[in-house]
Amino acid sequence: MSGPLLEVEGLKVEFDTWDGRVRVLDGVSLSVSPGETLGIVGESGCGKSMTALAVMGLVPKPAGHVTGGAIRYRGEDLVKASDGRMRDLRGNRIAMIFQEPMTSLNPVFTVGDQIAETARLHLGLSPAEARKRAVEMLRAVHIPEAERRVAEYPHQFSGGMRQRVMIAMALACEPEVLIADEPTTALDVTVQAQIFDLLEELRAAEGTAIVLITHDMGATAEMADRVVVMYAGRKVEEGPVDAILGNPAHPYTQGLLACRPNLQLGHAAARPQLHEIPGVVPPLHLLGRGCAFADRCPRAMPRCGEAFPPAYDVGESHAAACWLLEEARAA
Amino acid sequence: MSDALLDVSDLRVHFPLRRATPFAPKRTVKAVDGVSFALAKGRTFGIVGESGSGKTTTALAVMRLTEITSGAVRLGDESLSALEGEALRRARRRVQMIFQDPYSSLNPRMRAGAIVAEPMELMQVGTETECRERAQELFAQVGLRSDQLQLFPHQFSGGQRQRIGIARALATKPELVVCDEPVSALDVAIQAQILNLLVKLQEEYGLAYLFISHDLGVVQYLCDEVAVMYLGRMVEQAPREALFGNPLHPYTWALLSAVPRVGRRRRDGAARLRLEGDPPSPISPPPGCRFSSRCPYAEARCKAEEPVLREVRPGHRVACHLVREDGTAPLRPATL
Repeated sequence: MSGPLLEVEGLKVEFDTWDGRVRVLDGVSLSVSPGETLGIVGESGCGKSMTALAVMGLVPKPAGHVTGGAIRYRGEDLVKASDGRMRDLRGNRIAMIFQEPMTSLNPVFTVGDQIAETARLHLGLSPAEARKRAVEMLRAVHIPEAERRVAEYPHQFSGGMRQRVMIAMALACEPEVLIADEPTTALDVTVQAQIFDLLEELRAAEGTAIVLITHDMGATAEMADRVVVMYAGRKVEEGPVDAILGNPAHPYTQGLLACRPNLQLGHAAARPQLHEIPGVVPPLHLLGRGCAFADRCPRAMPRCGEAFPPAYDVGESHAAACWLLEEARAA
Repeated sequence: MSDALLDVSDLRVHFPLRRATPFAPKRTVKAVDGVSFALAKGRTFGIVGESGSGKTTTALAVMRLTEITSGAVRLGDESLSALEGEALRRARRRVQMIFQDPYSSLNPRMRAGAIVAEPMELMQVGTETECRERAQELFAQVGLRSDQLQLFPHQFSGGQRQRIGIARALATKPELVVCDEPVSALDVAIQAQILNLLVKLQEEYGLAYLFISHDLGVVQYLCDEVAVMYLGRMVEQAPREALFGNPLHPYTWALLSAVPRVGRRRRDGAARLRLEGDPPSPISPPPGCRFSSRCPYAEARCKAEEPVLREVRPGHRVACHLVREDGTAPLRPATL
């Protein structure tokens, strides 16, 4: 199949809060094709997890509403899909791995039961077949002694092993789209490397489309083909990974890249100067009409506070939403 | 080393495990098993390792927040590990700690100003007015406004809360500050702010930091000397340039090669040193070198005989049979 498998277009999500209606996603568009890895980066509260939940049809109700835009899976608009149809797709064609493997697994069922449940519901397997499938899946995510461990409970697994179980659950129905929301935040670097290897193996072997949500630019650099940078509910930059890392156009992306103490190997490893992005992400209910990053931006201009900039093309399939780019073009 | 501010020698912290029956054999977790290092005034010593390596227990033992099984901790001319009761309490003003989680390490019912003033009151440093003035001064030092002294912790963001934690740690004018993963709970953009603050405060007050982290990028940024721990032991210890420029222990290689880096693609099959599985249980560490069960280069000798931590170059210590006497590691992958 050519063209994107999953396409999000102009997605708007609003929440009812004590401070009134807050728009947590404002016109987010992205797409991912089979065998491709899309990275979504941004600080907490930028809307990256909410985008994932919206795709899964899991925007918390009744406070949250999808108020605009479309989410298309193979051309079918999921925003308009019935609950029954979403249940068919969720965990089956589109699956998600959550951040906290401890809280996302049910402590009173064995991991085998939890993997088998997905397989029974979506593939209509008998309990015995589903159990076999669970063992296969545990093997696929390289859990040693899968036959024995399938009957164990989540607390008997280490953090990295639990995340593998989560991945096994997500993969039980061979989904076409896998959304991984900060899959390695709670894990050691060595285990993080194992999980990333596993995701990459999967993408290469099955052609799964992966959406990797993370705040780590290094992880994005290693894993993603394309990157979407989000800030305060909007997409501020999108492009191929090399362009985003090598030639970031938005001041926020530049800041995110410069504020990380990147590991340098070799003898010339001197202490690098660490750049910081001043301030914090503004509360969403206080956002004005202008660019949300203007308060923290070192290059903000008066017009930045007046209107949100449109996306300007800065290279091949590389675009950023910043008024500076218009100035640069005019000059 | 006599000019060291903090001198830890052969520190051991063992935790007895509850036995299933009174007749079952005694079992202990050797969380820290023979760790030695020294830290000079105004310098930063980093400890890295996976969870369960004993890095936090080492920090807690230095703070005397966990019982020391054997070994000595000296702070200047005082023997921290031998002090008890009131003498220990008085000595504590010289060592303070910054915790990992800024959400759970501040009392939600206390105002920020009171949180910062509390250590001074406990140590009876100055009068009430002096405490209040000092709290204001500290607030300014860590980049908070004095009108925020009256607020409660929940009214601050994560980064601001960590600033309160830092102000509290500095309240008694300590010489040594133990930082246990001080930025790992914070957003990337905020991490840089806190790291820069720590550097600024160190320059101003000549603080020594014992810095615990699993983030090698952060450790490289902040630390003068780095120790790598595995299952309660130090496997390598070296000045920053040597550890990152000429790492010698296979476990250090594995840690370094696991860090995601800009400019390397996983898909290109970038040669990385993979570690299989999780660290073995510290209750029954493997015989010989503790890392041998996961080490891709392990030989028969590694599984039989435990390597000692030896100095192979000035200041560069490593515990590995495969490192030659001249301080070279012939097996190191070229990509490192």
